[in-house]
Amino acid sequence: MDFFVAQALNGLIIGLLYALIAIGLSLIFSVLKLVNFAHGECCMMGAFVSYYFSTLFGINPLIAVFLSMVVVFLLGVAMQYFFLRPLYTGAVERKDEYAILITFGLGIFFQNLAMSLFGPWTKKSQDFLSGVTSIGFLTVDNNRLVVSFVAIAIVLALLLIINKTFVGKALRAVSQDRDAAAIVGINSHRINMLAFGVGVALAGGAGALIGPIFLISPMMGILPGIKSFVIIVLGGMGSIKGAIIGSLLLGEIESLGSIYLLDPTRGLAYKNAFGVLLLAIVLLVKPTGLFGERHVRME
Amino acid sequence: MKKNVIGAGIAILIGVAVPLVFRSYWLHVAIIALYYALLASSWTMLAGFSGQFSFATMALGGIGAYTSALLVINVQLPMWLALICGALAATVVGLLIGVLVLRMRGPYLALFTIAFSELVRITLNAEYQLTRGDMGLTVPHLYTTVSKTPYYYTMLGLLVGSLLVMWTVLRSRYGLFFRAIREQEEAAAVMGVNVVRYKIMAFVISSFFAGLAGSFFAHYIGTLTPNSMMEIPRMGLLIAMSVIGGIESLAGAVAGAVLVEFLQEYLRALEMWRFVIFGLALVLILRFSQNGLIYPIYQRFAARRVEPRTVADAEA
Repeated sequence: MDFFVAQALNGLIIGLLYALIAIGLSLIFSVLKLVNFAHGECCMMGAFVSYYFSTLFGINPLIAVFLSMVVVFLLGVAMQYFFLRPLYTGAVERKDEYAILITFGLGIFFQNLAMSLFGPWTKKSQDFLSGVTSIGFLTVDNNRLVVSFVAIAIVLALLLIINKTFVGKALRAVSQDRDAAAIVGINSHRINMLAFGVGVALAGGAGALIGPIFLISPMMGILPGIKSFVIIVLGGMGSIKGAIIGSLLLGEIESLGSIYLLDPTRGLAYKNAFGVLLLAIVLLVKPTGLFGERHVRME
Repeated sequence: MKKNVIGAGIAILIGVAVPLVFRSYWLHVAIIALYYALLASSWTMLAGFSGQFSFATMALGGIGAYTSALLVINVQLPMWLALICGALAATVVGLLIGVLVLRMRGPYLALFTIAFSELVRITLNAEYQLTRGDMGLTVPHLYTTVSKTPYYYTMLGLLVGSLLVMWTVLRSRYGLFFRAIREQEEAAAVMGVNVVRYKIMAFVISSFFAGLAGSFFAHYIGTLTPNSMMEIPRMGLLIAMSVIGGIESLAGAVAGAVLVEFLQEYLRALEMWRFVIFGLALVLILRFSQNGLIYPIYQRFAARRVEPRTVADAEA
């Protein structure tokens, strides 16, 4: 029983990190109507930026997380401006195809760039808070506690912005109907830029938070990226509520599944494969996901 | 049409002459280049002509490679039979993926295949008792000679034969269906094309050739590891080859693969930076010249007198 609770808690913490990444992807999908195949790489960039902020400049690692979010936000804005903007000005034919290839290509570019700049070796980021905390029979690494609270705070702040502020209303308006939003005076290019920047910044923040728990490397973004694809299909493309619930679900399935479904040694090896099987089941049974509407295309 | 045949003839002649000029190491590079050319043209047939984007080409090649290798090692199947089994295994997997995912429109194929590639890699690494994982599986060679020339001609033959089949399919009415689906699925459906069936068909054919390339590669290279064969960056390199060559042309895919493979050997001194250059080239070409680099040059010089083109007559 103790073991079960400990694993469930672990799954919850991982799920919260997945939520940060997947909400970002979902936000981008709901506004820009495209899947960002470079999402995992934005997560990796966030991890490295915060690693270098804290090791080279001696900045507190927790502050470095937010600084890296700002850097990745700017990177996202630049990506959107140079490579995705043509999708919305009518300069590109076959938009869906272009969107898939260009984001995937940017992801590959970032991977190779990170390989060249930072080297292929894994690195360990500085601890947020060393030591462990014991609550009853549970013992939790302090890093993981800090990460959970920061992740929850970021998600709540984001939900507040989307649901309560004018900018949030503009985001929702563009996601519902780009033309109608333009008629009432919303600059949809600016909203695109904002949504893409915030979306990848969330992934970057998650990467920076992962740093002290797991190791960081140029290839670290691939699996979180794929998991966020699984989650947004599971939760329903473009649904933020779906992304949150899907993330927590996937975190628990991985954590509990790896010890209860298979023998432990195999279970650990296959932990990262559960998501793909889950994706296959969702596509087979209910392709629109838990909270999804019919897939919306770019006009 | 006539010009295409002449062009293909010249290309084949150059291909046949290569072993006379290149020795050992560069001949090895040439074989790998032809291997990528087959993978890239199978991807181009799917993506460029049918508009379906898959990131599983390398993984399907890997399935072909491991199936063929394991059959030879564990069941002592004759080599040529194992090669065919490898290609068929990739075809069956392709069919299953197609039936599962291609019922939907939108980015689902891309989403699923990228996840599937990782699933295959994880599984091959995890089942190390069978596959020896990252330690590398030692695979019997196709020929007993140390010379690379027989391998080169085998690969060239495979490539030319495969291209001929793909070209025939794309020139047939099925090719027309593929292009109709690419341009607009709704319109194709209205005109009576069974959209789902032909999307699956394109994916299955493409999977077969990926598996064929993979299983030949296994018996040429002699050592297989899941990571070197099907990591996501390798898929990126493959797409860069197709895109640089021109995404809507099989000849472009072959030219792109040969160019990129030779460049990446030639630029070895740059270490990882050469892949940064290819990555940058990929996004810039996508952004500014969607027909690639090589195909527009070809069009400019070789096909200067453009015949009145119809969709049915578009060059394959």
